[in-house]
Amino acid sequence: MTEETKMQSEHTGSVEEQHVQPGGMSKAEISRRWLLMKIGIAFNGIVGLALAAPIVGYLLSPAKKDRAYKSWVSLGDIEKYPVGQTRLATYVNPWRSPTDGQTDDIACWVRRTGKQKFTVFAINCAHLGCPVRWFPQSRLFMCPCHGGVYYADGSVAAGPPPRGLFKYKHQILNGELQIFAGQMPTLSNTAKLVTTIGPCKGDTPCAG
Amino acid sequence: MRIPPLVAVTCALAVCMLTGCKSLPGYPKHEWQPPQDQMNFHALYKQNCAACHGETGQGGMAIPLANPEFQALVDDQTLQQIISGGMPGTMMTAFAEKDGGTLTDPQVNAIIAGMRKEWAKPNAFGGMTPPAYEQPATGGDAEKGRQDYITYCVSCHEGPHDSITNSSFLALISNQALRTIIIAGRPDLGQPDWRNDKPGHPLTDQEVTDIVTYLGSLRVASPGQPYPSHP
Amino acid sequence: MRRLKDLKKVYDWVEMRVGFEKPVKEAALHPVPKNTASWWYVFGSAAFTLLMLQVFTGILLALVYVPSAGQAWQSLNFLNHNLTLGWYIRAVHGWGSNFMVAVVLIHMCQVFLFGAYKYPRELTWMVGVILLLLTLGMAFTGQVLRFDQDAYWGLGIGAMITSRVPIIGGQLVHLLLGGPIIGGATLSRFFVMHVFIIPALLLGLAGLHVWMVLKLGINEWPMPGRAVRRETYLEEYHKLTHEDGVPFVPVALWKDIVFSSGVILAVLVCAAIFGPQGPGGIANPTYIHTEPKPDFFFLWIYTSLAFLPPWMETPLLIIGPPIIILALLGLPLVASEGEKSWHRRPVALLTVMLLAVGWGALTDLGTYTPWSPHMNAWSSDTLKPEQVKALSPLERQGAIVFQDKQCRNCHEIDGHGGMRGPALDDVATTMTYSQLIRQVLQGGGNMPAYGKNLSPPEVDAVVAFLETLHKPGQKPAVNESNQWVKQFESKNTAPVPFQAAPPVGNGGNPAPENAAGTAPTSGSPPAPKKPTSVAMSMAPAK
Repeated sequence: MTEETKMQSEHTGSVEEQHVQPGGMSKAEISRRWLLMKIGIAFNGIVGLALAAPIVGYLLSPAKKDRAYKSWVSLGDIEKYPVGQTRLATYVNPWRSPTDGQTDDIACWVRRTGKQKFTVFAINCAHLGCPVRWFPQSRLFMCPCHGGVYYADGSVAAGPPPRGLFKYKHQILNGELQIFAGQMPTLSNTAKLVTTIGPCKGDTPCAG
Repeated sequence: MRIPPLVAVTCALAVCMLTGCKSLPGYPKHEWQPPQDQMNFHALYKQNCAACHGETGQGGMAIPLANPEFQALVDDQTLQQIISGGMPGTMMTAFAEKDGGTLTDPQVNAIIAGMRKEWAKPNAFGGMTPPAYEQPATGGDAEKGRQDYITYCVSCHEGPHDSITNSSFLALISNQALRTIIIAGRPDLGQPDWRNDKPGHPLTDQEVTDIVTYLGSLRVASPGQPYPSHP
Repeated sequence: MRRLKDLKKVYDWVEMRVGFEKPVKEAALHPVPKNTASWWYVFGSAAFTLLMLQVFTGILLALVYVPSAGQAWQSLNFLNHNLTLGWYIRAVHGWGSNFMVAVVLIHMCQVFLFGAYKYPRELTWMVGVILLLLTLGMAFTGQVLRFDQDAYWGLGIGAMITSRVPIIGGQLVHLLLGGPIIGGATLSRFFVMHVFIIPALLLGLAGLHVWMVLKLGINEWPMPGRAVRRETYLEEYHKLTHEDGVPFVPVALWKDIVFSSGVILAVLVCAAIFGPQGPGGIANPTYIHTEPKPDFFFLWIYTSLAFLPPWMETPLLIIGPPIIILALLGLPLVASEGEKSWHRRPVALLTVMLLAVGWGALTDLGTYTPWSPHMNAWSSDTLKPEQVKALSPLERQGAIVFQDKQCRNCHEIDGHGGMRGPALDDVATTMTYSQLIRQVLQGGGNMPAYGKNLSPPEVDAVVAFLETLHKPGQKPAVNESNQWVKQFESKNTAPVPFQAAPPVGNGGNPAPENAAGTAPTSGSPPAPKKPTSVAMSMAPAK
């Protein structure tokens, strides 16, 4: 027995004795009281569950499958984007709320390599999501946060990013460039303990 | 009565606060403004131009802008074109948003207006008419240009250090840029303008065209190769 | 006199009903060990005072602040510029936060070094650890409420870190942001955290913390050799307080109140001099010309993230924080007995020193972020005019290439430029001509390869420029073996001609030493090439 518990028992010893005292009730009476108490607790438990279910549902409601947030967004006429160049494009996020202010305006980099050939990169660095900037002179994307650098095709050139730039799925419809967008791209689909550094593979849809 | 310094500081601060003192050093003076609202010439120049054209508009690698003759030679429309869309054949890149840069049209105009205000001077040519700004595509005689080059330029551009006939150098500069430098000079480097290459003998328009044609003719098919003897 | 009597009557009336007098008196006059009436014991009360200041100024700010992504930033600017002294209340709240984090950390170090977490004060320490986390949580959520670009991209960093959680990472990001993007819901939930949840926990646990301090007594001044043992400690402490103790009020408390008001005054002075922080640019993700940075107390994390190798990031970010927190919480359970004095606890002392130095170094690096490219360096950082004047025309073009291709964004010359790569002030003396060409074309050592992005003349020019970067009086580095090759070649009758090599721009083959012999060797200008057909033999008229 430790000193601590000894001390406590000294203090509370008298209280424990009092517990047995009051009323002088029979055992049956006591167990009946306890039964009522148990019913009360059970009732509370049920009501508590009935209360908790909608609360949990409400709190978890933002956690949806990726598809629920995404849809096709137009980036405008393809002729806005000169062949052989990479340009900044902006769109309004298709999933929005009335209090979003200017945060609905999302930017992305559109690279046009041929008449019908486009690549659309997310603005977010694959390292920690800071906005990468395109430098047409050196044909590099640079990130201001931790020095991630990417080549024109989005593959990692230098710095800490674990993968190339995120790419949006895109299509050309009636002369308009459209991307499948709606949520901030993150590593959640591709984050692995073993990461590959190098060109990002194929046409990965914008992850996250 | 002696007032402890702590009490004094506190009282001073309290009084200052009660009057809503805006002269305190901590008072936030400037509200943030979006980058496209920046219209101050000096800020724009420092951010976009200073690296190549020099902190003060001269002493940079590229042509000095703080040269009244340059300011008089190049009109607003040309400047606007060059700043917005870049200058082909040189490393002057496009700065306008619509061409992949970051500046809006009003900002480009603010830069031009600022340059004019700071660096243009009346009567920059001392009453003389300079050769035309634009280098004609045809009409230059390279051989004549070579003669003129020997007459006007060689005295300074003789040694290997000062060579401007190097193929890599010529590959990185356009005929128009060469012409602009010949006419306006580079006072920051000590290169005279078209009047003083040979004092008393200003270059004529045709001579400038010829020299530029000559220099242009020295360009090679694959410049800058490290094996010049084995192209 | 009558007045006083009336007052006493009112007091008695209330006291009879609430019964505060006895416990308050007991708490105030309880004996504490004499040597704890020390300036070392003032940080806890100062932290509590700062908490009160934060609650108070926070309520004042909430009178005007609008927790909506569309208006939060505007309301802060309104506070700053349109409301009398609004800026000052913001500044006091902001500086109060800085001071609070600092004082809490100092308090923690002091408690750790004084062994105060040992028996029977283990739980007090654990609650203290949670209070520290809550304080940091307040600092982070408060920074988000500014809702400027730093806040926006800081949230992005938070989301990216969260997304590294295996399997449920994507859903966690949605929960963190309250939706698929950083937006109105995100700000609202951070507002709720900052204003309701964390303050409630903070106040409740701070109360518990103080309650336990009162119940268990202030930790005595640690003496080397006086080790804590469960069997005897309580008795010893009782003896210490009752035989050699002093009443808490006023002997110990006066130092607390003097220090607390000193700290508050320091907050007020800092607020008046340095003013409020931000808000910076509006949180609009299409303004990409921003260099986001966290507030001071999170710079060390920001720095660590720049230096962690990529393969280590995910495990460390996901597993690291829980381990640190568990280690802090578990500390008093592991080491609840033994020496309290730092004189006999070299490991503890070294740990604190190491953490302090490490934290200081990381924070210092975080203030100037040497790993970040300077995004405007290429178009705004200049060379000295004298330096430019001394260059040859080709080298001058090379210097333009250097700027134009954003080399300056990562490389310093003359103390200006990015610090991601090495400063190039005397690169010519450390690398030979062909090494420079190879480095430019192939990159390596965390430098991108520029082979595809530079034309041969650009490489030629930029390397010619780099060759000029050395201190006066020093010579550029050369490959000495080349001389021997040349000598050998001249001795042997038939010099081996160079094999035709692929162009530099494609293969990136190292060029032979000093092969930039494209400059004419004689002073006479070369003859024009096509289209003129004048005889080449024509002698220059000199």
